[in-house]
Amino acid sequence: MSQIVAPLVGIRGLLEKNCTIAMTVFAYHPQPSDNVHLVLAAGLAAAGCFLLLPRPRGRSVAGGVAALIIAAAVAGLWTHHAFGEPGANWIEKALFILFSAGAVGFGIVLVVQRNPARGAIAFAFVILSTCGLFLLLAAPFLMAATIIIYAGAIVVTFLFVLMLSAASGPSDENDRSREPLLGSFAGFAFTGLILFTLNQAHEPNAPPPSPNANEVDRLPPFPLLTPDEQQSLRAAADAMQQLEEDAFYAVPNALSREQRTIRTNRIEALLEDAIGLNSAKYEGRTQYGSIHARLAGHRMDRRADDVLRQVEAVRRNGVRTMKTVDDAIDEPTRVRPASAVAAVRQLREEVTLLANTGELPARNTANLGYLLYSEHLLDIELAGTLLLVATIGAIAIAHRKNPEKAVAL
Amino acid sequence: MGLWHYLVVAAILFGIGLVGFLSRRNLITMFLCAEMMLQGVAINFAAFGRYHGSLSGQAFVLFIVAVAACEAGIALALILMLYRRARSLDASDWQSLREVGVPPTVDAEPLPAAPFERADPRLPPAGREPEKAQEAAHV
Repeated sequence: MSQIVAPLVGIRGLLEKNCTIAMTVFAYHPQPSDNVHLVLAAGLAAAGCFLLLPRPRGRSVAGGVAALIIAAAVAGLWTHHAFGEPGANWIEKALFILFSAGAVGFGIVLVVQRNPARGAIAFAFVILSTCGLFLLLAAPFLMAATIIIYAGAIVVTFLFVLMLSAASGPSDENDRSREPLLGSFAGFAFTGLILFTLNQAHEPNAPPPSPNANEVDRLPPFPLLTPDEQQSLRAAADAMQQLEEDAFYAVPNALSREQRTIRTNRIEALLEDAIGLNSAKYEGRTQYGSIHARLAGHRMDRRADDVLRQVEAVRRNGVRTMKTVDDAIDEPTRVRPASAVAAVRQLREEVTLLANTGELPARNTANLGYLLYSEHLLDIELAGTLLLVATIGAIAIAHRKNPEKAVAL
Repeated sequence: MGLWHYLVVAAILFGIGLVGFLSRRNLITMFLCAEMMLQGVAINFAAFGRYHGSLSGQAFVLFIVAVAACEAGIALALILMLYRRARSLDASDWQSLREVGVPPTVDAEPLPAAPFERADPRLPPAGREPEKAQEAAHV
């Protein structure tokens, strides 16, 4: 092992070696399948981590930082070569590079930092960078939730650090590592294997990266919803919201019966075009609307099949709801306004989800909440139970037993 | 919208956390490294959710956050108990729990001496304590 390590220890020797390696790398134009870059990046990162991990002797900060920077550059080069540009426009690219560099850089700081309190601060920055990546991934609710929860967690960790490691000066736990060489090589060999596999999985689908390759990659070859259908579905959802706010005679003298009928007819007309609601309701015909007509031949595609099932559900629910609404308008004494409003609200949510098929909805929080409480209700309860059990477990573990009682028993 | 770049960042975060978890000896740092690995997985889920235009990935991340909260509670309670017994956060204090046949970890190199700290200066006693001024009036 010392034969491997010895040439890496000297800072000057290491820098010279790295410079020559780096020059060879940048002069070299590999084929897409060539993974020399990847191996080099993983090896350099492992060497840098090994040099930086705390030890009583032989820790080389300058050499380690240099090796890690070169490893990051090589990994970035490899990623660019294998997967193309990280975003469509320069703002997205810049933000992605900023946040990912922040996450990885502060992660390294957390790993190699001797002082656990500074490590906790670095972890806070890792969380912030991850939250930036969540924001780029259209998950603003996750960003807020992660910041809130981890802010609490980091503060508690900080308290623990302050309580438990008050000793000053070098200590076994902070200034020694357990097998730093094997540990860093294991970790980065694992990362390299994952990246290699990603590259293998990527290659058959995407030939040389073109500017729009990722856009094409994302969508099926046919549109799940045309812009017209989307527009009419959204207009129907808006009209239904107006209907909800009107609250069916709950507010006296808001609208006349004719005006209400005009509104409901408009909703039906809007939905008829896309999912064939009107024909199902009045004529009992099996005319399913334009979405069904277009996607019926693509049942093999999972996403198309999902959309078709959603259309079917909205259609069934829509017929029922519209009958309830008509009854509520014609005979307000027989159908309670509250139940009609509830039915319309449910239909509106389903239509909104359908309208936003193929993309993440703009109202992230509302739709995530709807998804959690409609599809994942059992999972939510299980997570809550898990939290309860964890709380009881933590109390049971950390409870200080009364020594006198223990002796008596 | 590149899925692959996010997967790359997530894999690197996971690998860094793995290195820290394997080679650090402070229990609190090991705990933070495990949390960082969870963050890498969370980025994966969010990226796949975005790629498929489905919110289920984000729902998954919410569960990861819930599980991470449970893990934090249990882990910190365990760390507290271990600290009470060993009076240190060193994971190698518990190597008597290792498998049969695994050689023990021995710290060969001595730790560097703690930096010399100059004691706080003390004033030497100088002469007799001067008489304090008495208050003139006792009411």
